[in-house]
Amino acid sequence: MKGEILPPLTATVHVKPASWRFGIRLWLPLFLFWLLLLPLVVLALPFLFAAALFFGVRFWSSIRAVLALLAGFHGTSVEVERPSARVFINLH
Amino acid sequence: MNDNRRQILDMLANGKITAEEAERLIAALERNGVGATAMSESDKVKYLRVLVDTKDPLDGPTKVNVRVPMQLLRAGVRLTGVIPASAREEVNNALRKEGIAFDINNVTPQNLEELIEHLRELTVDVDNENTKVRVFCE
Repeated sequence: MKGEILPPLTATVHVKPASWRFGIRLWLPLFLFWLLLLPLVVLALPFLFAAALFFGVRFWSSIRAVLALLAGFHGTSVEVERPSARVFINLH
Repeated sequence: MNDNRRQILDMLANGKITAEEAERLIAALERNGVGATAMSESDKVKYLRVLVDTKDPLDGPTKVNVRVPMQLLRAGVRLTGVIPASAREEVNNALRKEGIAFDINNVTPQNLEELIEHLRELTVDVDNENTKVRVFCE
């Protein structure tokens, strides 16, 4: 986990409603989402830069902090179990 | 006194560096020393775990198990570092209005490392009739 610089690249989602015999296991390629998002971020960068100047926010520090925040999601897992269903989400 | 500190003081005594330079060097030495110790120790704590076990009379029992990487907390604290001073003051005022005496200027990576260090030995258990909450680090 230490030294992660990329956001989570994949996620696994497991949903099993109690009434179903088998659950659904999904493997989600999050990297595709990041790839799709990248051009939008690049387009938005000048506007974000202007906004940072306007509000007095350190732009590059903010970018680094946001990237670190996204990278920090590696290893996050959430498991919810109820009588009606069970949901498990894991970010890799 | 460690060797590095003694060396700096010797250099000061011999007139090789000024008092200001010696102060800067000692400060840097302390910063590096504290940082290195805190990092190596806190690296052992990887996740914050939150376990909730509740018995809802209508919906039945519910179990929640959340694992939050410490890296995420560190990044969150880093994010607070880029908040402009004026916005920080507004946040502090809003917190004060709510009766929370908390200064977000005190949320620094160093303080977080100390907090993590203390969390390692701490388990928070909330236990009432229908709900059990357990927060701990692993």
